[in-house]
Amino acid sequence: MPPRGADVTIGAPGKRRRGGGATSSHDEHRESPPREPGDKEPDVRFTLANERTFLAWNRTALALVVAGLGIVQLLPPFPGVPWGRHALGVPLIVLGAVVSVTAYLEWRTTQRAMRRSEPIPQSLLPRILVATITGVAALSAVVLLVSAVR
Amino acid sequence: MPPGQPEDRSPDAAALPDDPEDLSPGTAAERTRLAWERTAITFGVVGLAMLRDEPVAGLIVLGVTPLIWALARYVSATAPPETRARRLLLVTVAVTGVAVVAAVAALLGHGAPIRLR
Repeated sequence: MPPRGADVTIGAPGKRRRGGGATSSHDEHRESPPREPGDKEPDVRFTLANERTFLAWNRTALALVVAGLGIVQLLPPFPGVPWGRHALGVPLIVLGAVVSVTAYLEWRTTQRAMRRSEPIPQSLLPRILVATITGVAALSAVVLLVSAVR
Repeated sequence: MPPGQPEDRSPDAAALPDDPEDLSPGTAAERTRLAWERTAITFGVVGLAMLRDEPVAGLIVLGVTPLIWALARYVSATAPPETRARRLLLVTVAVTGVAVVAAVAALLGHGAPIRLR
């Protein structure tokens, strides 16, 4: 266990890492994300935390797909707006695919940054999610209004 | 610590690490395995949701569930990074595939706006 007040920095062992933590057994392996001389595998706990973040985003992606499918298949048609359900559901399904692919790219970027003891790049996913969900919410309001007027 | 509160100087508090994970570092691998299993369960839920209107697509997605579950079983803290990266790529391909199947089902399925014939 690291001493209280130890330097808490995500990075490769031997460079800037949490003192006395679990050591990585990955140093001798070669991995998919590009690796340069001097890169070292980070503490395995950070690798696992990065993986859990990736999995959490993928569960979010699957939830978006289910939400989109539910809107298309379970909601009754909006009176006067026959395209309404698809206009709301399909963007959520597409967002699910985008979130999944982006989560993988960000997992690679984060893993590379940890290996090089560089700062972790800011994630784009929250912004993508907020922008798309806000757009779908606004579109829902428009569809409901148009449906009410007709 | 919130401002205005006295610092806890009890022996128990002094023994606590800054990061709760340091209390039991071994649980990181267990929590990751549980995260994989939650992901596998989510695949199953998506498959069941699709089964109602698109039985074939639903069965395909349900078929992916045991695959993800098997990945969960074999994920370990000592797995080579290359293997780990392939597993994650497989999950990404599976989720993207499910999204494509769902989009096709939404656009071409029952009550769809697009008709091929």
